[in-house]
Amino acid sequence: MKKKKELKISRRTVMKGALAAGAMMSAGSIPSKLFAGEYNIPDPLKPLPTTGGNMRWIDSGDMKGVFWKKLFPEYAASRGITIEYDGLPWKEINKIVPIAIRNGTVHDVFQLPLGMDPGVAVAEGWVQPWDDYIENIDEWLAAFPSGVYLPGVNQFNGKTYGTCLTANKRTGTCLLYSEKYMSEAGYDPQAGRMTYSEIRDAAKKITKNGNGQYYGWIIGGNQVNRWEDVVHTFGQVGGAHSGRGGFTNRHINFQNGKFQIASDQYMEAVELLLQLKSDGSAFPGVMSMNAPQARALMPQGAAGMIFQGPWCIGVWGRDAPDWKYGIASEPVPDGKEAQPLYIAEGGSNTFWLSANSTMGPFAGDLIRFMGTEQGQIYWAQTVGAADPAVNPDAVAKAGLTGPSAQALSMFAENILVGPNPIVRNKDVGIVAAKSRVPDPSLALVIQGLYTGQLKGVEAQLKDCNQRYEDALDKAVEEARADGANVTRDDWVFPNWDVYSNYGAEKYQEL
Amino acid sequence: MHKKPLSKQIYDARWCYLFVLPCSILTGMFVIYPIGMSWYFSLLDWSGFTKEAKFIGLQNYYEAVNDEFFWDAFIRSFIFMFGTVPVKIVLGFIIAVFLNNQVLKLAPFFRTVIFMPVVTAIAIIGIVMTFVFSPFNGPANKFLMSTNLTSAPIDFLGNPDTVLPTVMGVYVWKWLGITMMYWLAALQTVPQDVYDAAKIDGAEGYRLWIHIILPIVLPFAIVIILVEAVGALNVFPLIETMTAGGPFFSSEVMEIYIFRTAFVTDSGTMPRLGYACAAGVFWGVAVLFITVLQGLWMRRTRRI
Repeated sequence: MKKKKELKISRRTVMKGALAAGAMMSAGSIPSKLFAGEYNIPDPLKPLPTTGGNMRWIDSGDMKGVFWKKLFPEYAASRGITIEYDGLPWKEINKIVPIAIRNGTVHDVFQLPLGMDPGVAVAEGWVQPWDDYIENIDEWLAAFPSGVYLPGVNQFNGKTYGTCLTANKRTGTCLLYSEKYMSEAGYDPQAGRMTYSEIRDAAKKITKNGNGQYYGWIIGGNQVNRWEDVVHTFGQVGGAHSGRGGFTNRHINFQNGKFQIASDQYMEAVELLLQLKSDGSAFPGVMSMNAPQARALMPQGAAGMIFQGPWCIGVWGRDAPDWKYGIASEPVPDGKEAQPLYIAEGGSNTFWLSANSTMGPFAGDLIRFMGTEQGQIYWAQTVGAADPAVNPDAVAKAGLTGPSAQALSMFAENILVGPNPIVRNKDVGIVAAKSRVPDPSLALVIQGLYTGQLKGVEAQLKDCNQRYEDALDKAVEEARADGANVTRDDWVFPNWDVYSNYGAEKYQEL
Repeated sequence: MHKKPLSKQIYDARWCYLFVLPCSILTGMFVIYPIGMSWYFSLLDWSGFTKEAKFIGLQNYYEAVNDEFFWDAFIRSFIFMFGTVPVKIVLGFIIAVFLNNQVLKLAPFFRTVIFMPVVTAIAIIGIVMTFVFSPFNGPANKFLMSTNLTSAPIDFLGNPDTVLPTVMGVYVWKWLGITMMYWLAALQTVPQDVYDAAKIDGAEGYRLWIHIILPIVLPFAIVIILVEAVGALNVFPLIETMTAGGPFFSSEVMEIYIFRTAFVTDSGTMPRLGYACAAGVFWGVAVLFITVLQGLWMRRTRRI
């Protein structure tokens, strides 16, 4: 006969429970010390609602997701709420968020689809300002480096609608390589920036050494933005100076305000990709895999090189800790010196608070904490170079080593702040809202050239360039018809020195 | 005899109308209203989720019919239909004939096996098939390589020449079971007497099928073709999960085209719901036209 288990509750257990319950009821919020975990989450600056609730949060995942999944349970427990987190690729964010906004079910905190003008989100009433939910917001904002919070970018009508915890000083097309395969091919990317010829030769040698078991180079080719990212950044390194961001910044040379898709540097970059294919160095099947799938094949030994972002570092560190890889700057065309890359002012990974959200006090409390030095150190320690924390002091104190530290120093060396037309004239935001990337986009043109469905690199890029020019002209025209005070001259920055940061004083000179 | 006024007729049949009412309300809400709104939206320059919407008349239609990618997708949808429906109809019929044989003891087992993909979630099938057809360690390529049918792996879903046939093959495999069930239902309407009488008259083998059974099940065939044709024009989840219309539009059918313009743009600029509605309305009318043609064909065949 089974012996019935006796329920024994010690006096100490009862006291512990009573203490916890009493603390919960009396404080209105739960002191974080009761939930001591990996993070020391401070008490909120003012009492939070005691009603609890569920906060829904969506962003583009990757290493952000790794961090949030560690922090959210602790934060939620300390505040007596639950947090539902969805970390999804940008491709999914671009689909889900617009539909969710349309049907009124968007998450409490979300990221806007890539390239979407934030001014539209504010004007349409999809988002609400953080000002009411972040205590002493002016003091909090003052702790961020200058240029992160800007009118027309994340601040509108004197209020802060978008919060940035991360810097945008990074590229998504670094050379990431297998140390073993690369050294067997006789190359060391750490010795200096590799040229296109060297990349091609290394890819050939790796493929030859692989004998059908592995290949020189891989890319997530069915994720079309990868093609555009590579050509854009390589083109910049080659000397096609241009902006980064959405349609109204990307590929535009701010010295003359014109798209430079048909520039020699872009053509050389496309040719490099086509040569990798014609050499037989490309992994077979790149057209049927997305970027995360291609990334996942690298530690499995399927390829020697991939042009990807620093977000791979954390993922590989977690999934393949023993795999030896290196990170280096993007290659440079033969006989040329690498040119700077440019980012627009502002941060990255901007978080927006849904206008319908009732979880603002909790979201604001969490964002406020993440903007403090301690929050930024926590962020940097987990996310590393994948999405660098925006506070440089915190990054320095995070004690990063290895590829993360190397990537950050590489970005600091290679990237400058370039002009941003929307900072100069907020009506550029209206143009952005009217803009439509023409069909086929540059990303698709490169994909079509790679698959052989399109012929003639020069002719295709020239056509594409003209389509982009026409599309921007049309958007400017439509914006002007709606009363916007904007012309194509707003994209011309004659005082842009391509070898120095474009700061506030430069805008004043215009 | 004096005919009752309409109001009196309605009053007399009030219970019938009452019972029809819930269905009418639901049809109105979920069929009539969306169709009506899509016609209206097709006349607007509207992203779908901003307040700003401008009436532009038929401009979206004009743009659609002048867009080569629209026509490519339009034609591709019909290639998909003509490439899959005959295969499914013929294969489904052959399998049904075999499995309709009472002597075959394992018929229920084979029926279940063939029907199993039908009840599997299509998105799961789409994703699993991307692995099956992967050129790197995918089972399809492993088989081809190990049997020396190919010397190098084939990028089934990444090659513009093979992507559509591959997706069509998966579609046929996924839905073959339902076609087989339609045929089985049709074959089971043929009375046993007919088989017996045919045998007495000396009709056996292919003669029995061509001259006796096929004419009996022909009206069913027309219905099956109609259902299959409309089904083959609704393949969004399979293609979206397997290829999302790529590479470079090679597998972009109309539904993917509409989805892309309505909700997702490559570079994240504003989508165009108004334009997508115009494309959708145009496509809907085309499908309706084909359905009407098939309906007329069915009526004619019945008369024969």
